[in-house]
Amino acid sequence: MLLEIRLFATFRHRRFKTKQMELPVGFLLGNLLKKLDISIKNVGILLVNGKHSDKETRLIDGDVVAIFPVVGGG
Amino acid sequence: MGLNELQKQRYSRHILLEGVDEEGQSRLLESRVLVIGCGGLGSPVCLYLAAAGVGTIGIVDPDQVDLSNLQRQIAHHTPDIGVDKVESAKNKISAMNPDVKVETHKVWAGAGNIREIIAGYDFVIDATDNFSAKFLINDACFFERKPLCHAGVVGFEGQLMTIIPGQTACYRCIFDAPPPDRTVAMCGDVGVLCAVPGVIGTLQATEAMKYILGIGDLAVNSLVTYNAINMSFRKITLGRNRLCSLCGEEPKIKDLGGFKRLC
Repeated sequence: MLLEIRLFATFRHRRFKTKQMELPVGFLLGNLLKKLDISIKNVGILLVNGKHSDKETRLIDGDVVAIFPVVGGG
Repeated sequence: MGLNELQKQRYSRHILLEGVDEEGQSRLLESRVLVIGCGGLGSPVCLYLAAAGVGTIGIVDPDQVDLSNLQRQIAHHTPDIGVDKVESAKNKISAMNPDVKVETHKVWAGAGNIREIIAGYDFVIDATDNFSAKFLINDACFFERKPLCHAGVVGFEGQLMTIIPGQTACYRCIFDAPPPDRTVAMCGDVGVLCAVPGVIGTLQATEAMKYILGIGDLAVNSLVTYNAINMSFRKITLGRNRLCSLCGEEPKIKDLGGFKRLC
């Protein structure tokens, strides 16, 4: 299945802004984070097709995944 | 409270606004807003609240002004290096608007004193620079039922959300718990473009004014993100989390006892 991954803020650093990824159907969102070397502890918001999701969400073809970090400076 | 002639001149552009007028301006003059942290975010917050004529501004910050602060912390100027931030900000506010009373809290806000500090204010601004502080303020505002505007900045990014405790999503509804220390990039590690906290802090001050005036739509049940590089704002709609450890159906957090660090 083909997914679109969108990273935000500091997650773009040394990664990418938007990328198409080919992964097996039903791939867990938590495993996608591992593949991207993003710790779940640093994730603020996970959206799949604009809906609030979590690491247990199973992805399907055409999903658009948006990953936002926590932002804590002031 | 009626406005005197000087106040009618000073606030004339507010008074012209539908939804503000003299009555709203009087409400601002009678209001009390607490700003926790007087750095990159807290500086524009304090200055705009002062210009707006918010009658009492409380400022919490234990630090002194450092040379590296001046790139973005616009309430502090070069001669203020080494001066307590609360005093530096108080001086600018007093020079800008003598209508405003400033209450300085040169303390580390922690589990032992934060509820007492925020209890006397109508609205709280989280302008701190670390996650422990942001969670502490969220929880304290929940227990004291104080409305709050949270924000964070790093690099070219900022985010903001307004919280009406018990009614709208809280910080823990979305983020649950602080990330482990040193695992998330902060401004001291990767930098911050000076105007980014200016933009976000200005929005925080705007949220406080809207709340006091009772006008418009607050940034509740949503996270507003700003990216300076793309010049993009995004509003992510988020509801209350029934599993929230603080304000959910079966809360695990009953007090501030879990906090060790101060802010």
